Amino acid sequence: MKHASFRAAATTALLLAVLGALIFFLLPKYWVFLVTAVFIVGIALQSLGLVTGRTGMISLCQMSFAGVGAWVTGYLNLIGAPGGLAVWMLIGGLAAVPVGIAIGLPALRLRGINLAIVTLGFAAAFDTVLATITFPGQTTFTQVVRPEAFDSDKGYFLFVLLTYGVIAVVLEFVSRSRLGAAWLAVRHSERAAAANGISIPRAKLSAFAISAFISGISGGLLAGYLGTLVSENFSMMQSLALFAVATMAGAHFALGAIAGGMMIVLFPELLRRLNLPQDVGNVFFALGAVQALSTGETIAETWMRLARKLRPTRAVEAATAAGSLPDKTSHPAGIALEVRDLTVRYGTVTALDKVNLKVPAGTVVGLVGPNGAGKSTLVDAIAGFLYRYDGSILLNGSPLEAISATSRSKLGIRRTWQTTRIAPELRVGEYIRLAAGPISESELESLLAWFGCPGPETLISTVDVGTRRLLDVAGAVASRAPVILLDEPAAGVSYDEALKLGERIAAIPETFGSAVLLIEHDMDLVRRACSAITVFDFGRVIAAGAPAAVLDMPVVQKAYMGVEFEEAAE
Amino acid sequence: MDSLFTAAVAGLSAGGAYAILGVCAIFTYRLVAVVNFTGAAIGAAGTFAMVALFELGMPLLPAVLFGVAAGALAGLAIGLVMTTWFTGSNASTKAAVTAALLVGIIAVGLRLTGGQHPHYFPEIIPGSAFRLAGVEVTWAAVTTLVLSVAFTLLTEQFLARTRTGLQLRALSQRPMAAELIGIRVRLLALGVWAVTGGVTAFALMIIAPLRSPDFASLSLLVVPALAAALIGAFSSFRAALIGGVMIGLIEGGVSAIGPVSQYRGAVPFLVILAVLLWSQRGARWDEAR
Amino acid sequence: MIKTRNLLLASAAILLAATVSAQAAPTCENGPIQIGAVSTVTGVVDFSDAPRATQAVFQQLNDAGGINGCKVEFTIADDKGDPQVAAQAARDLIDNKGVVALAGGASLLDCAVNAATYDRNDVLAVQGVGVDPLCFNAPSVAPVNVGPYTLTTAVLDYATKDLGAKKLCTFFSIIGGTQEAYAAAVARWEKISGNTITLSDMTLPLQGDLTPYLVKARDAGCDAVLTNQVEPGVVQWIKTADAQKITGINWLFLAPGYTEGVSKALADSKQPIYVGTEWEPYTEATEANADWAKTMETAGLAKTAFSQGGYMAAKVLIDTISGIEGEVTRETVTAALKEGKELTYPLAGNAYSFGDAKAHSPMQATKIMQLVDGKWSVKTKDWFVLPAAE
Repeated sequence: MKHASFRAAATTALLLAVLGALIFFLLPKYWVFLVTAVFIVGIALQSLGLVTGRTGMISLCQMSFAGVGAWVTGYLNLIGAPGGLAVWMLIGGLAAVPVGIAIGLPALRLRGINLAIVTLGFAAAFDTVLATITFPGQTTFTQVVRPEAFDSDKGYFLFVLLTYGVIAVVLEFVSRSRLGAAWLAVRHSERAAAANGISIPRAKLSAFAISAFISGISGGLLAGYLGTLVSENFSMMQSLALFAVATMAGAHFALGAIAGGMMIVLFPELLRRLNLPQDVGNVFFALGAVQALSTGETIAETWMRLARKLRPTRAVEAATAAGSLPDKTSHPAGIALEVRDLTVRYGTVTALDKVNLKVPAGTVVGLVGPNGAGKSTLVDAIAGFLYRYDGSILLNGSPLEAISATSRSKLGIRRTWQTTRIAPELRVGEYIRLAAGPISESELESLLAWFGCPGPETLISTVDVGTRRLLDVAGAVASRAPVILLDEPAAGVSYDEALKLGERIAAIPETFGSAVLLIEHDMDLVRRACSAITVFDFGRVIAAGAPAAVLDMPVVQKAYMGVEFEEAAE
Repeated sequence: MDSLFTAAVAGLSAGGAYAILGVCAIFTYRLVAVVNFTGAAIGAAGTFAMVALFELGMPLLPAVLFGVAAGALAGLAIGLVMTTWFTGSNASTKAAVTAALLVGIIAVGLRLTGGQHPHYFPEIIPGSAFRLAGVEVTWAAVTTLVLSVAFTLLTEQFLARTRTGLQLRALSQRPMAAELIGIRVRLLALGVWAVTGGVTAFALMIIAPLRSPDFASLSLLVVPALAAALIGAFSSFRAALIGGVMIGLIEGGVSAIGPVSQYRGAVPFLVILAVLLWSQRGARWDEAR
Repeated sequence: MIKTRNLLLASAAILLAATVSAQAAPTCENGPIQIGAVSTVTGVVDFSDAPRATQAVFQQLNDAGGINGCKVEFTIADDKGDPQVAAQAARDLIDNKGVVALAGGASLLDCAVNAATYDRNDVLAVQGVGVDPLCFNAPSVAPVNVGPYTLTTAVLDYATKDLGAKKLCTFFSIIGGTQEAYAAAVARWEKISGNTITLSDMTLPLQGDLTPYLVKARDAGCDAVLTNQVEPGVVQWIKTADAQKITGINWLFLAPGYTEGVSKALADSKQPIYVGTEWEPYTEATEANADWAKTMETAGLAKTAFSQGGYMAAKVLIDTISGIEGEVTRETVTAALKEGKELTYPLAGNAYSFGDAKAHSPMQATKIMQLVDGKWSVKTKDWFVLPAAE
């Protein structure tokens, strides 16, 4: 993992260095001037890619953040603040951070679309504010001073490239860290992210803060590039066009950011040379973005897919155990999870009616019942995904009411979902670390080997559904939580795999120390894994006890008639 | 205080426009599940079609009818894009599509309508209705208000009472299921798009003579419109109606307060922010994810 | 004594220079003379009338054999109203096309974005229509139009002197950097006339309902109101005034309001509407307009105010280059413009000169037009010239 991010960062740095050298030595002055803009726009695009592409929040005010950075840079230049452009643009970036956080605040509880409206509103509001403030120094014809060593066009190109390189490399590290994985997880499914103990507000705010910072820096660079700026540099239309290009090019990839920058900067050049009107550009960007959205693949992704095709495909490597698993975690003995008189109503429908359930520490308890019996509602209630319920839920004897899903997960209740919700852009190792926190390389390897999962560098998008279900369970287990709720882990898994999964689940308490509440339709798996069973029907507990006894009870057989009869009879 | 009230009343016509655009935004969201950033741009297309025909010498009434039809067609075009490629997409993707399309539509619109060269915008509903707080309240303002109220009530009744309304509601909530029980999903969706296009076009025609009538600024009326829709939490037509009018009134009022009047363009944003922070106090989980 | 002799010598040198320039022979060994213009052609506005007129004049010149045999190659670069594109366009003209000067440009932001670039590259811009304040506040740009700021002063002065306005009000919509310039323009009028402004509002929105502002003007008791609205805004302003049944106020606008679109759109209005022009009123078939009108007709271009600017900028460049002895290069053209020779054209109310100042605002004269029954008519037969700026 560490090696991988170093390697990726080194590759990015090397590629940029080579590219920079080629541009520096081969291109004439005018083209160097143009390419400088490509990289400045590329930085702005990366900042947008971080919020929108990576974290899945539509931001239509990215240039407003850049405007904050630019104006601050201009002001510092005017008053002759010490440190020169490099320091000014950093301060400009920092000045944009509170703005980003302020915009991000409503995003905490909002869905993506509302956020899009908030950001568009901000862009419009910022337009009116910026339009009234002259760029510092403009009335006195004072230009933003470039750093002495980088004053010429070619020199400034190096300065911009250097900044771009630093940002790209840092972003490479961040995106491969737990924070980066958390962003992807939030984008893919906020609930699943919360279930892994990720603080959604922190993930979203950090994305907005870092994005605003980077965008602010791009504004500062632009100030040094053009010397003076006008409000049109940062208008709402610029933000919208930037959004269209980012969507088309895939700005959350370093490659996509540069491709997008080239489009924004070189398209006008191309149009000029072809004697075509300049406004064709925006139409092209709009159509390109719609095309990318309809295929669900950005330009950067298309290129990477084609490049992957050219390379010989490597078979998915299974993880090999580097050592033995660490000892099981010791959790307090007694009742790990207790549900007391839990009642959940949706309007007039009672989904759960005074349900009582106990999961003793170190056991696997099965929860069965026909579809619609309220099993998943129970999991939602325990994990903290319901706004309100009556009754109480206790973890190791302490009540969990008024505790958020994220906090419950951190306290030690982990869950999986009926359908896998792992962000496909993650790697296996990144996902397990996202779920489990910082665990050692050897522990990760041996955990994956124990579950028969592929190696940590495997992309989730390349593994099949059955394996993803395994990873769901592996992630929950790796967290070593005292209570693990598995919601139909064998759904969509082949019979052989399901048997294997059953054995693994049965072995969880003794290997890892966690107690398991298992919801499953596959009765073979339930028999194999559980030491006790609770049966639900119409939101009520109709039976509880040892598996063999409970499953033979007439009332249970009856509940399963029709819908699940064959399975029950197997 | 008096001047504040006067200024607020002066914001009434803008408020009426925001209200009707906001109601239209909710209409599209509730029925075809799209947060539509191109709403005002569609209307602007219809409005400029009307102006072009009028400039060519067509009498006002047929020109208006053709303009409304053109707005409906423009709505239909967006609807075709959405129903052809994005039926199964999530709300964010659909919103992103319309946001991207807005960039292109404004570029095309500016090109076709010749930038800021003024067109002669005939006043469809001329004259002033009455005088309030020293301000002439125009028939145009009254009409937009009446129109938005009428549209709100009609839509509510239509959705609650008629069979098609029921089908439409089913369509927005479970498009797949709706298709299975034999609703012609696509046709209905396209119908919704056309209706929004026509209504917005008519609304913009009424207010265009009193606004800066270039394509871009008419298209960007979508910002207060969506702010109004947000006040209605994208579900309540009435709340959006009131919200739209309120935004107009506040904007008008703010322009009377010297030092801040410069920033009255920020009003929709501040309203959005306040409304959202208040209405979304409790933690909510995205249904879809 | 020595001083006097030096002075004499100096004047002799100037005389000599003048005679030389009279029979100067500019040469162009490296092909046609390259001239360019950065203008807003697509996007929110279309200002292409100005550079197209410039092009027409150069075409006419080339057809007649050029300047001493030197042809002019003229490039119009569109900036889309986008600063990034504007910067690229300027660099393309300077680095790739190798222009000796810029002429006839009309852009929302060319000066603001590129004035420094021009300055750094020692190339000067004879802006056809200067719009943003930096056009009048940079060493490298000297527009041939009066510009909104000087015009504000002039129209206010006219209102006091000829319309007898006592309570003057101004409403400006401010876009980046214009606040200081308009404030200075109003201050200059206050200084010239000795009056004070009754109400100066700098918060006019670029878009949105104007009713609150008109109500404010009415309630403040203004008898003349000046706004810097551009074309559609002018129409909106008057229509809103009509809708509010406001009477008894003289409405003053700047040159952007002086268009046929406005006169057509406001044909029904009874409001007293005045505008200040940048040049000889383009709607009048006067002697002063004769050559410009002929050139436009030959080239098949519309006769608009902007095209007067483009036309005049081209003339300035031709007359400047004609006075150059030797090779026409960026250096020689810049030097010739910086000499600041006064160039007089019937189109303009006072002489144009570039010169070597830190900021240029050479044009100081306007004519006032009034809209009567959908037609523009001249209110001031003679030029309304402002006293020289300090």
